[in-house]
Amino acid sequence: MSRYFDRIHNGQPIDDIEIIDFHAHLGPYFNMHIPADSAEDMIRMMDSCGIDRVIVSPTPGIISDIEYGNDIMLASIKKHRGRIYGACMVNGHYPELSVDELNRCFETEADVKIVKLHPILAECKMDDQRMKGIYEFTADRKLFMIVHTWLDSDPYGNVDLFARVAKDYPDINWLMGHSGGPYGTFRAVEIAKELPNVFLDLTMSMCPARQIEFFIEEVGADRIIFGTDNPFIDPRPQIGRLCLADITQEDRIKIMGGNVKRYIDF
Amino acid sequence: MSKLKYFDCNCSIGRLAHPALYDNINVKGLKEEMATAGVEEALVFHNMARDSAPSLGNAKLIEELKDAEELHPAWVVLPHHTGEIPAPAQLLKDMEQAGVKAVRMYPTKDYHSFSLADWCSGELLSALAEARVPLLLDIEIVWWETIQTLLEKYPTLPIIATNVSYRHHRFIYPLFERYPQLHVETSRFFAASAFEDIVNRFGPGPIMFGTHMPFLTGTPAVSMLTYADISREAKEAISGGTLRSLLKEALS
Repeated sequence: MSRYFDRIHNGQPIDDIEIIDFHAHLGPYFNMHIPADSAEDMIRMMDSCGIDRVIVSPTPGIISDIEYGNDIMLASIKKHRGRIYGACMVNGHYPELSVDELNRCFETEADVKIVKLHPILAECKMDDQRMKGIYEFTADRKLFMIVHTWLDSDPYGNVDLFARVAKDYPDINWLMGHSGGPYGTFRAVEIAKELPNVFLDLTMSMCPARQIEFFIEEVGADRIIFGTDNPFIDPRPQIGRLCLADITQEDRIKIMGGNVKRYIDF
Repeated sequence: MSKLKYFDCNCSIGRLAHPALYDNINVKGLKEEMATAGVEEALVFHNMARDSAPSLGNAKLIEELKDAEELHPAWVVLPHHTGEIPAPAQLLKDMEQAGVKAVRMYPTKDYHSFSLADWCSGELLSALAEARVPLLLDIEIVWWETIQTLLEKYPTLPIIATNVSYRHHRFIYPLFERYPQLHVETSRFFAASAFEDIVNRFGPGPIMFGTHMPFLTGTPAVSMLTYADISREAKEAISGGTLRSLLKEALS
């Protein structure tokens, strides 16, 4: 039984691990009602379960306007300094604007930490030639790039396409968003074994039983990163998932924040 | 505060052609996942009843659950016209004898190829409604328009919609306003603060604890509930109180 069994069942926050939510958003979304989508809502939920920091890519930036989304991201960082950090959003259909946004965000705000790409919502394939400048910026600074991926039903960012691009840019730390989805586990692990610059993401609404244990067994805990999809998904389910998983405390600490801190200063 | 007593409405056993990870969709695997999550009881159907044939899977379910008193059987049923399932009166007797107090249905041409409309399922649905037998419907198979039709026509039929996505709030709120016999299962129902929002608007009745174990881990659904900023009474209803009440009324 997990050391956190009673704490989770009593609804008490996890206060002995630094928890960093590496995959989150912010704001309303076109095809669903999100009951609590503001920065304040997100922090309230984080406090209730013990999440210390969150990296956000606001929803308007992933589905419509990267510039507007990045504005929201920058404003939320300023308002909640030390809790909210930023993922600069890019879109291959706007190659020049994307590079301008990368320069603007990373030069003006130290708490912008990573780059966010959502190929299927932008309907721009990961290997589109217009992505070159974005990848070069990210590689030059050895940043993390988080990419929404799915197994094979995503023509823009399926895991095999992701792997091909990740191989071309070994200086980028690639987070395979959702690890290819609930049926993508085996292929995600194959890719992570092949490419040392690929990290596995735990963010998903359907969480296969023993997936975290499987990832650790196959790839090791050093390349698994905690994320929640807040506020699409409430962050609190992922806390139960991690804290009740049959894994060592050392691995739990790495996954929930330790791995990220090896690469990023907060 | 004492631990909540969970009664999971959405579990299954029976090997899947397309498992997620492990060959664990069986009684042993389910019990292991329940222990990990801290879930005491579960309503269970057999995947063979959905994927192969109800007659095979329902019988296998009773056999495989015979030594597991914490696991309660739910049968997969369909209309009786072809003779594959007994007529409604006999079906209810068979269910009572086997200790079955909830059923699932898989209409549409990609599953069991029948209609939920009156001309096909009317006799069965009327019998289930009269006996107040909870009907579980997978929202990936039966969409909200059809569920609304059933809710309107059968006000005494409890309907538990399973696999309800975190994206479905705009469908379900107007249904919650009109139909207290509708419940949504929680294995994927994770929009931010969904539980607080629904409990504040409608009370805890519409939300029913479910996990889809052992295919999925049950741990996210547990902490979605334990961390929710709602009353202890609401948590008790969601974790199992509402389901226990429905099963007590069924076939009584």
